[in-house]
Amino acid sequence: MSPSVGRRRLLGYVGTAVAGAAAGASAGVVGAQALDDDGRARPGAPAPGADALPRVVPAHGPHQPGVAAHLSGVTELVALDLLPEVRRARDRDALARLLRVWTGDVESLTAGRGAPGDTAPWLAAVADLTVTVGLGPGVLGEEWGIPAPVGFAKVPPMRHDRLREEWSGGDLLLLVNGADATTVGHAVRRMVADARPFAALRWRQQGAWRGRDQQGRPVTGRNLFGQVDGSANPRPGTDLFDSTVWIRDGAWAGGTTLVLRRIRMDLPTWDELTRAEQEASVGRRLDDGAPLTGGHERSDLDLAARADGRWVVAKDAHARRTHPSSHGGRRIFRKGANYEVVTPAGSETGLLFQSFQRDLTDQFVPIQQAMDVSDALNEWTTAVGSAEFAVLPGFAEGQWLGHQLLG
Amino acid sequence: MNLSLPTPARPASPGRPGRRRSASAGRAGRRTGAAALALVLAAALAACGEEVAPIEPTIDPAGAPAAADSLEVHDPWVRATVGADDTTMTAAFMVLDNTGDAEVTVTGARAEVAGRTELHEMAAVDGQMVMRQIRGGLVLAPGRGQMLQPGGSHVMLMELTEELRPGDELDLVLELSDGSDVEVSAPVKEFTEEAGHYHGDDGHGDDGHGDDGHGDDEGHDHGSHDHGDDGEGDEHP
Repeated sequence: MSPSVGRRRLLGYVGTAVAGAAAGASAGVVGAQALDDDGRARPGAPAPGADALPRVVPAHGPHQPGVAAHLSGVTELVALDLLPEVRRARDRDALARLLRVWTGDVESLTAGRGAPGDTAPWLAAVADLTVTVGLGPGVLGEEWGIPAPVGFAKVPPMRHDRLREEWSGGDLLLLVNGADATTVGHAVRRMVADARPFAALRWRQQGAWRGRDQQGRPVTGRNLFGQVDGSANPRPGTDLFDSTVWIRDGAWAGGTTLVLRRIRMDLPTWDELTRAEQEASVGRRLDDGAPLTGGHERSDLDLAARADGRWVVAKDAHARRTHPSSHGGRRIFRKGANYEVVTPAGSETGLLFQSFQRDLTDQFVPIQQAMDVSDALNEWTTAVGSAEFAVLPGFAEGQWLGHQLLG
Repeated sequence: MNLSLPTPARPASPGRPGRRRSASAGRAGRRTGAAALALVLAAALAACGEEVAPIEPTIDPAGAPAAADSLEVHDPWVRATVGADDTTMTAAFMVLDNTGDAEVTVTGARAEVAGRTELHEMAAVDGQMVMRQIRGGLVLAPGRGQMLQPGGSHVMLMELTEELRPGDELDLVLELSDGSDVEVSAPVKEFTEEAGHYHGDDGHGDDGHGDDGHGDDEGHDHGSHDHGDDGEGDEHP
């Protein structure tokens, strides 16, 4: 490991420990003063817990760390297409060289340093930055000599889809997440520039997520409907998460698959609903995300519960339609990024919905199809973009992204 | 003349004690087998013009700490030559960090693919910035670093025998004044600034970096980097 990385990382953790100790020692005083009656931090209160301070997310490991990492504030998804000459020649060597270049970029940028050859290294910063790299359907298969992960395929058309080409597809994916848009945008700019001999930009989609509370503690976060979004996720670090997300065997072991759905959300008509109607459409409370059948956010839904002769969680409620028990235990790991795009022609709001799963066809597709048949949320949501990527396994120091497949 | 040495064994595991000699965090694994440049390390003695025994690329384990123990190299890279006006030369850039208590002097460098290698700096001569060879080596005071970067000091690689493509790995050896070496494995990257402005050099004649040389280079948006109206000169503003 390069020492400057080590220093920065050390500083990050030391900072956390010191601030944590200080907060603990004075909790009875500072803590009481910092919070108002509702437990919210008051304006002008002492700085939030050091948990909120951006850190270096180590780039190396059996998995690309951005998949399981808790969402930081800004997410940008970037698709690139291989240049025609690279694609025509099925130039595996060129693809491998691109991934080598990107590997160095990822190592530097996520550590808070400018990438080698960076034209604006001062924009790099320690920012929880993760860069997750994936391959699209166009570079997988026999022609490229790169086997696709088991079950990897394009998502079949859905009745409710209104997909637009400019938000769909792509040969290569960069999924960049970090604390602020300046750092994330710089990483994207750098890596797109370094890809220029090999690939060209197809689309960029940016969104935001509030994954921490005012004390800096990780929380699930909300979509633009106001719903707590992702409560049913398997928790990273658990066996359930591992079996849901990570490919276990073969060259893709340690990788996963990603489906990106750009979901347009009709906020004006959503806002016409009563709170009860809004909560019924999902089957969860808006204030804390708890199931309408009781408990707290992490409680499971009681799908059998009835009140006054009716299902408490409606037949077409989103949480019922997508519940693992409705799909033989199949589940996904979801992340989100809220977007609002304002142009002179108008605005579009929605969610960049990211679904991670070991087997796209076995896990994602049946759940999506069930939603397409019936889901109360369909009235206010429309998929306008869709893309599928195989997320490369992780790499150790001295290795490069994709070496398992192209080395 | 060049004397080829066997490639020193590079342990595959990342745990090798590479700090003092390896700079780019052990990227041996990133070399593309047969497709890669044949960049085995060599003791390039041509610059000396005399017969010298091959340099041991390490340090006497029983002796005093070598300068190479103190020199750390970060984020090295080499400018690709694909599409360049002059594909016979390029430059390597990196961040050097002297972590030791004694001065470290980089006296030279060598690479298998380069017939000639020099350390260059930018200096003001008669009010103009020009590139010239560093006399007496690149001196790093204890605890101090130095950035080798476009528009500044760099390792000039000349008489290249291979095309350098983005994503290739180039093995470079930095030679220190006490005879110790530092190995650097540097990725080749496309230069995304205006290459012509950087690359001019009075020692290499007209490198033809005018508009004509870029005419066929569709993918390179040189026009987006406006360095002023000095486009025809070799000097960096």
